[in-house]
Amino acid sequence: MASRPTVTIIGADGKATGATQVLPKVFSAPIRPDIVKHVHTGMAKNKRQPYSVSEKAGHQTSAESWGTGRAVARIPRVSGGGTHRAGQAAFGNMCRSGRMFAPTKIWRKWHVKVNQGQKRFATASALAASAVAPLLMARGHQVATVPEVPLVVDSAAFGPAQKTSVALGLLKAVGAGADVEKAKASKKLRAGKGKLRGRRHRQRRGPLVVYSAETDGKDLVKGFRNIPGVETCPVDALNLLQLAPGGHLGRFVVWTSSAIKELDSVYDSKKGFFLPSNVVSQADLTRLINSSEIQSVLRAPKGEARTKRGAVQKKNPLKNKQVLLRQNPYAAAYAKQGLGSQKATEGKGKPLPEAFKQLLNE
Amino acid sequence: MSSNVSADLIWEISRNTNSYLVKRTHAQFSRDPLNLVNLNSRKYAGFVNDKAVGIAPGEKGGVVVTSKKAGSITKPSARATTTYGGNKTTRKTYKNVASQVAKSGYRPDLRQAAVARASAIRASQRTPKPDQEKKLRGNAAKRAAAEN
Repeated sequence: MASRPTVTIIGADGKATGATQVLPKVFSAPIRPDIVKHVHTGMAKNKRQPYSVSEKAGHQTSAESWGTGRAVARIPRVSGGGTHRAGQAAFGNMCRSGRMFAPTKIWRKWHVKVNQGQKRFATASALAASAVAPLLMARGHQVATVPEVPLVVDSAAFGPAQKTSVALGLLKAVGAGADVEKAKASKKLRAGKGKLRGRRHRQRRGPLVVYSAETDGKDLVKGFRNIPGVETCPVDALNLLQLAPGGHLGRFVVWTSSAIKELDSVYDSKKGFFLPSNVVSQADLTRLINSSEIQSVLRAPKGEARTKRGAVQKKNPLKNKQVLLRQNPYAAAYAKQGLGSQKATEGKGKPLPEAFKQLLNE
Repeated sequence: MSSNVSADLIWEISRNTNSYLVKRTHAQFSRDPLNLVNLNSRKYAGFVNDKAVGIAPGEKGGVVVTSKKAGSITKPSARATTTYGGNKTTRKTYKNVASQVAKSGYRPDLRQAAVARASAIRASQRTPKPDQEKKLRGNAAKRAAAEN
């Protein structure tokens, strides 16, 4: 690319400060939903806590099979007498109070290793997607009021933003208010047992504020942490789970100006990692088709601009006179003499005999 | 938007999963405000295309035509809105809509859809005629005649 696109830096009042920033290289990384989805599936599994049913569940009885010859199934049966439990089947997964089928174990394979190169590729891809407004809209973010994507806000505006009211006011001023409102209004009670397991509510994600831990400091986190749906992330620890929640590309990201300045150096410092490059340099199909390179090697279209479709199209001879004449040359003379409109016989027919009329009216 | 991203690419990424998509058994619809026919299709997908038109009812009657400003694909708030015809004849409304959408060369392929949508909105804004009074028939009519 000859010239890299720039982005304007927005001030605390939501208006452009006049300063611009060249977009970091990572924003021209290829957008690959397949890779992001795959990496996200793996990464999302790495925060799980092991669970299982009790090792003893369903086995706390001294049941033994009665063997054959008693006209009952050979399943182990509870020994003893004097209670209803005696003689009931036990242990099996089909039994009441039996153990489950294949009891869950804490040594299940909970975690998935994702290669670092893949993780970095996916993160770069998610970052590139976060700079594409249509993808933000497709993800469901309310960005109709946002002046520019990626949204870069002057770092100076974040100075007093350690108070939540100031932080919220800042988000509203830069056009991110609608998205915050949407996240706030979306809080719903979770369906199912998750309510009892520390996942009582579910809600949409709002904007992600990316800051530079070095220059901006971590104080702004305090301002944003109590706004529903809003998350913060330092630029040197960008996380795919935040950049593409649910594996879906296009998180709405609010950058501080120093964070976006630092982004190039963040990627330069990753040893052995080169930003993925695009397979095609021009993804616009219309421009490709209309380019002189393509047009110059195409053969000229055959025929006129409006080509006669001779035998291909069937014409209706009843409606199309030329077709009628081709099929029936006599039609011209027939029409000229007016034979079609002539009455079969001139004048009236003979009147009915009187006797017949009388018979009819009888 | 860098050159590796185009409307064609965005469409391929988001055609099956996007927040506007409404999937039903017989069709796929779209809730995109910049979609003139509310169908999930490449031509009418407003959030995908660089140039798109949306038509909605105006607050005081008439129709509001919203269009994306060409060349400002990274600026979501850059939209042009014009209101047409609250108190004018519908023909003038259609003419204005058609000339903004198609005649100016903005999106000539959307002319028919735009005028159709404007027409549907204008038809919905008409005050409905009051129902005709029911004529009494049969015995009820005889009784009413006897009373008078």
